[in-house]
Amino acid sequence: MGIKDKLKTGVQRNLNQKYIRRLLDIIAKKPVLFAYGSTFSSLSDKYLNIFTIKSLRNAYTDNNHPVGYGSLFLPYEMFHALGITPFLPEVMAGFTAGLGLATQTLKEASSNWYSQDLCTFHRSASGAVELDVFPKPDFVITTNLACDAAQKSFYIHSVKYNIEKNFYLIDVPYEYSKESILYLTGQIKNICMDISSKSGIKLATSKFKEVISLSNEFRKWAIKVNNLRKTLTNYPPYYNGLNFILPFHGLAGTREAVILYNQMYKELKKYLDKEEKEKSGKNKSLKRILWLHLKPYYKNEIFNILERENCRVVFEEINYIYWPELDPERPFESLAKKMLSHFLAGRIDNRINVILKAARDYKIDGAILFSHWGCRQSNGGARIIKDSLNKLNIPTLVLDGDCVDQNNSSQGQVKTRLQGFVEILNS
Amino acid sequence: MLHDSKSRDDLDILKNKINDISAFFEKTLFSTDKRPLVGWFCTYTPEELIVAGGFIPVRIFGRKKIIKSESYFPINFCPYIKSSWESLLSGADNLKAVIFTNSCDGMRRFFDTANKYLKDTPSYLLDVPHLRGVDSIDFFANNLNNMKRFIENLNGKKISNKEIKNAIILINKKRKLLKKYSQISTKLPELISISSYFKVMELSMISAPEIFTDDLERYIKFIREADTENMTNLQPNYENTPGIMIIGNFITEEKLWGMLSTMNLKLASDDLCISSRYFEKQIELGDDSDFLNLTAERYLNKPQCMRMADLGLKLKEIENNIIKNNIEGVIFISLKFCDTMLYSFPLLKQKLNDLGIPALYLEIEYNNFSEGQLKTRVQAFLEML
Repeated sequence: MGIKDKLKTGVQRNLNQKYIRRLLDIIAKKPVLFAYGSTFSSLSDKYLNIFTIKSLRNAYTDNNHPVGYGSLFLPYEMFHALGITPFLPEVMAGFTAGLGLATQTLKEASSNWYSQDLCTFHRSASGAVELDVFPKPDFVITTNLACDAAQKSFYIHSVKYNIEKNFYLIDVPYEYSKESILYLTGQIKNICMDISSKSGIKLATSKFKEVISLSNEFRKWAIKVNNLRKTLTNYPPYYNGLNFILPFHGLAGTREAVILYNQMYKELKKYLDKEEKEKSGKNKSLKRILWLHLKPYYKNEIFNILERENCRVVFEEINYIYWPELDPERPFESLAKKMLSHFLAGRIDNRINVILKAARDYKIDGAILFSHWGCRQSNGGARIIKDSLNKLNIPTLVLDGDCVDQNNSSQGQVKTRLQGFVEILNS
Repeated sequence: MLHDSKSRDDLDILKNKINDISAFFEKTLFSTDKRPLVGWFCTYTPEELIVAGGFIPVRIFGRKKIIKSESYFPINFCPYIKSSWESLLSGADNLKAVIFTNSCDGMRRFFDTANKYLKDTPSYLLDVPHLRGVDSIDFFANNLNNMKRFIENLNGKKISNKEIKNAIILINKKRKLLKKYSQISTKLPELISISSYFKVMELSMISAPEIFTDDLERYIKFIREADTENMTNLQPNYENTPGIMIIGNFITEEKLWGMLSTMNLKLASDDLCISSRYFEKQIELGDDSDFLNLTAERYLNKPQCMRMADLGLKLKEIENNIIKNNIEGVIFISLKFCDTMLYSFPLLKQKLNDLGIPALYLEIEYNNFSEGQLKTRVQAFLEML
C-alpha cells in the first residue's frame, strides 16, 4: 500500500480532528512532505499537494493566525493581507469525495435536515462541519457570486460555531457598473476593517501591496500557462486542470501560487517544446475538448475513457483568467473589480463569451458540461450554452452526474454517453 | 358559540356568502381596464413603478402544465419557474414586458432564457441587494431608477415624481387592506376559509390595483358589518383548535388550501411570498420626496425572503410571529429545488426545537399536487398536536 492509500485509509478509519491534526503535523514536516511530494508524477501535482498540505496544516494547527472559512470566488488576497488562514469548505468537500468520506458526511447532513436536492459540495461540507471534522473558524466569509448555496450553508456554519457576528456576506451586484464597483469596494473595505479590529491584526498598506503584487504575479504565470495550452496536446501524466481550485482561489496573493504556476508553466513548456520538435508525431486525429464546470472528485473513469477515445481536455473554463491586473495602490477597488469581472456573475452572456472565446482560442472540437446535481446556476444555463456552441458547429455533451456523491452517478450511463458523444465528434 | 340548528343554518348562509369570492370581486375579475400588463415574479419587485408607468402589474402564476419548458431547464429545477416559462412561451398572459429579479440562481437563469428565446417581449432584471444597510438602500434606489427607465422606454413616456407618489399611495392602500383582511381572517377562521383567503391574495397580485382595492374595501366592510351584527358570535369555539403557521415560498396550490380548509386547524400566521411577505410594511411617505429611496427602504426592510443574507434576522421574525400568534405547530412547505428555502430549514428546525414547536416538513411540486399523501401527513401532524 502506497503513502496516498495509507493516508486515505487512515482518515477513513479515524475521522476526527485530533487524528487529522496529528497526521498533518507529521506529513507537513519538511523531509516527509518532500518525500510525499515526490510520489506525484508531475511537478505541478507535486507543488499542488505540498501547498495544499501546508495550507491545511495551518488551518488545523496554527494557533497564531485566525482561520477564515471562505467560499469559492472570494478575493482571497484580503485573507492573506489580513493574515487569516483560509479554509475552503467547498474545496474540502471535494476532498471528502476523494478520500471516500462523502457517504459519511452526506449522511450526517441529511440527518441534520439538509435536503437531498441540494448541492453535494455544500451538503458534504455541512456534514463535515456537523461531524466536527473541519477546523473551528474565527471568521466566515462568503459571497452570493455565482451560487445561492454558499451564502446559506456558510451562515449555518457560523451559527454552529457561535460566531454569527463574524459572518460576512460580500454582496456582489449583478451588473458591472460604476455604482456596483463603489458598492462592492465599500463592502470589502468595511469587512477588512471589521476583521482587523476584531482580530487585532493591523491591516498594513505595505502588506496589502505585497499581496496584490503576488496576486498579479500569479495571474501573469496563469495566463502564460493558459496561452501555452492553446497549442499543447501532450500533458504530464495525471495532469488535470480541474485539480487546481484551491491555489487558483485560496492561494491567490501568496508566493505559493506564484511558485506553483511558474512550475506548471515550465513543465508544460517542456512538453510543448518536445511536441514542436517532434511535429511528425503530432496526434492529428485527437479531439480537443473544452470542459465546463467541475468534475467528479471520487475515483472515476471519465478521463480514462476520453483518453482511450483519443480525446483530450485542452481547457477548463474555471481556469480562465477573468480579472484585470490589480492595482496595488487601490487594493479594495481592485478586488471589487476582480469579483465583478467573474464570468459567473451577472448574465449568462458573460459565461457564454468566455466559452466561445475558449472554443476559438483552443480550437475545440467539442465541449462537455458536467451537470453537477443541484448546481442551478450552471445547469440552468445548459440549454443556452449548448445552443450557443451549436451555432459554431461545436457539439456539446451535458453530462449528468455528481462531483461529490458517487452514489448519485451511474458509471455505466456516463460511459455510454461519453462514447456516444465521441461518435458524434468523429462523424 | 354554536347553540342550535337555526344558528347553524345562519352561520352556513353567512359563510357561503363570505366565501363567494367571485361575487364580491366581480369587478376585479371582469375588469374593463385596458391598460397594458407588465409581468412580475418576486415580491421584491416594486409594483409602484409599474403602475406609475401606466401599466397593470400582474404577477405570473404559471398555471401551465410543464411540457415545452422541460427542454429548457434541467429536471431538478424550480417547478414554478418551469411552469411560468411554459406560460410565457404560450404567450398566454399577453404581456407588454416582464420584470425579473435576481432572487435566486434559478430566477437569474430564467431571465437569461427569456432574454434569449422570448424575443418579442422585453424583459428586465432588477438587481436586489442581499444586505439591508444604508449603502444597500442607496444602491437599490439607483437600480430602481434603472428599472424606471426601462418602464419609461416601454411606452416612450417619462414617469413623473407625482406619478410615483400616487402609485405609492395606491399600493400602500392595497397593502393596508390586505393586512386588515389577513387580521380578520385570522380572527374569523370559521367564516373565511383558507381557500378564500389565498384566492383574495392571488387576485391582489394579478389585478388592476384600483379596482381590486375598491372590491376588497367593500368585502372587508361586509365582513365587519356581519361582525358588528354579532353574527360572528355564532362561530364555534376555537380554543381547542391548534393555531398553525405556514412557512414557505411560492405556494399557490388551490387544492392544498382547499384541503387545509376542511381540516381542524386555524391558520394563525404565515410567512409566504404570496401573503405576509407581500403586503407587510408600507412605504413611509413623509417630507422626503426621494420616492425611489423610500421605495428601496421599504422593499429591503419588509419581512424578508430566505434569499437575504441575514438568516438570523429571518428566524427572529418567525420567532416573534410564533410568540405573538400563539402558534402551536409550523407547517414548512417548500417547492422542490428551492435552495434558499431548503437551506433555511436546518436552522429553522433547530429554532423550533428550542421553542418546543413541532414542525411538519413538506416539499411539493408545482401544479402537480398529491392530495391524498399530503392529507395523511397533515392529519397525523395535527393529531400529534
